[in-house]
Amino acid sequence: MPDGAGEPKAASRRRRKLALRPWLRALHRDVGYFAVGLTVVYAVSGLAVNHLKDWDPNFKQVSRTHQLALPLPTDDDAASKSALRALGVREEPREVYRASETQLDLVFDQRTFHVDTKSGIVHEEGQAARPLLRVANWLHLNRGKRAWTYVADSYAVFLLFLALSGLFMIPGRKGLLGRGALIVALGAAIPIAYVVLSGGP
Amino acid sequence: MNRFNPEIEQALARRRFIQAAGAGTVIMALGSLYVLSDDLTREAKAQTRSDGRPRLPPGQRVIQALKPMGGEPGDPSPGNYRLRVHGEVEAPFELGFAELLALPQVEQALDVHCVTTWSVLGAKWQGVRVSDLAERAKLKKSARYVIFEAAHGYTSNVALRDALKPTVMVAHRLNGTPLARAHGAPVRAVLPDFYFWKSAKWLTGIRFSDHDEPGYWETRGYSNHADPWKEERYA
Repeated sequence: MPDGAGEPKAASRRRRKLALRPWLRALHRDVGYFAVGLTVVYAVSGLAVNHLKDWDPNFKQVSRTHQLALPLPTDDDAASKSALRALGVREEPREVYRASETQLDLVFDQRTFHVDTKSGIVHEEGQAARPLLRVANWLHLNRGKRAWTYVADSYAVFLLFLALSGLFMIPGRKGLLGRGALIVALGAAIPIAYVVLSGGP
Repeated sequence: MNRFNPEIEQALARRRFIQAAGAGTVIMALGSLYVLSDDLTREAKAQTRSDGRPRLPPGQRVIQALKPMGGEPGDPSPGNYRLRVHGEVEAPFELGFAELLALPQVEQALDVHCVTTWSVLGAKWQGVRVSDLAERAKLKKSARYVIFEAAHGYTSNVALRDALKPTVMVAHRLNGTPLARAHGAPVRAVLPDFYFWKSAKWLTGIRFSDHDEPGYWETRGYSNHADPWKEERYA
């Protein structure tokens, strides 16, 4: 200052206030980077499990019927080998189970062949896991429990921080004092309107 | 040469809009036809159960086969299978799969209703009545609720009087074929008068309890009673 005096108090306070925003932005940015992986898991899995009635987001289903030539050997192991040879299956079953006089179950990791030893009809059924989605859904639904509960809770806190810090990222008319407030109100109105219009729980 | 004639651009934009609107209208019309042609649902709505209730609960739509609704699968092996009947009983017991098959079997045509709004009517379930298992276990007078226990800690709960209805069973066959893995092989519960999540897949135990214990979905915002005719979907 020309007169050698210090700057007015109000200006100093304003500068100190404004200095918070770069910190907030930096934190918002880094927490945002950190949350990307979990957001992808929760968002993709959320879309998948939201439509459970339309598809199975965890498994692809297999269901086929085969006809074997008769007669089959009376010994269970021999019948199993004969059936699998006819079906072109090379892997060894993990279990050969005589469920009833006419039903022999050949159990594999991903599928089961239910052989009707009298009619020769074989029902093959099974399910193969959808590689990434099953894991994402498992995490999202917290089926594993244990430590994942803490991860999911922390993620929820991070999301709250991102939402709240996002409110104060931009000053002025595009921020919370103008257009920002309008958009926040619109976003908040969606759940409120849904509850009101649907009659709520 | 000017490649961006505004009039041509405008005409093309209009054409694209008309094409999109036309396609949307056709899709909507086909969707409406699909809904209108849902004969199964219409027929079911016209029917009444022997207890006087409509055959199809409100908000449900009939489909032809069960949909796999997820869940953490249990061990499908019949050889490893054990069903534990325990709790408020005088004579708790365990059954293997072959022992379960050796008990008196029933085959019942039952309607099941999923909370996600689909219903399957008249599917033939084969298995053993829960009331028969309860009789063998000799219930104590203190038994008032039944907790169906399944793989990976899944449970569902109903009042004892509801579990002992003749239509409630543990099933191992559906429509003449062994239960598929996606539907809870080798054994699942079937409680037709409740939303289907009560019918625990990959069933491992039936526990009789002197108090109610809300199960997996019941503690996650779904109704404890789950009566489809009252549309008790959520708590």
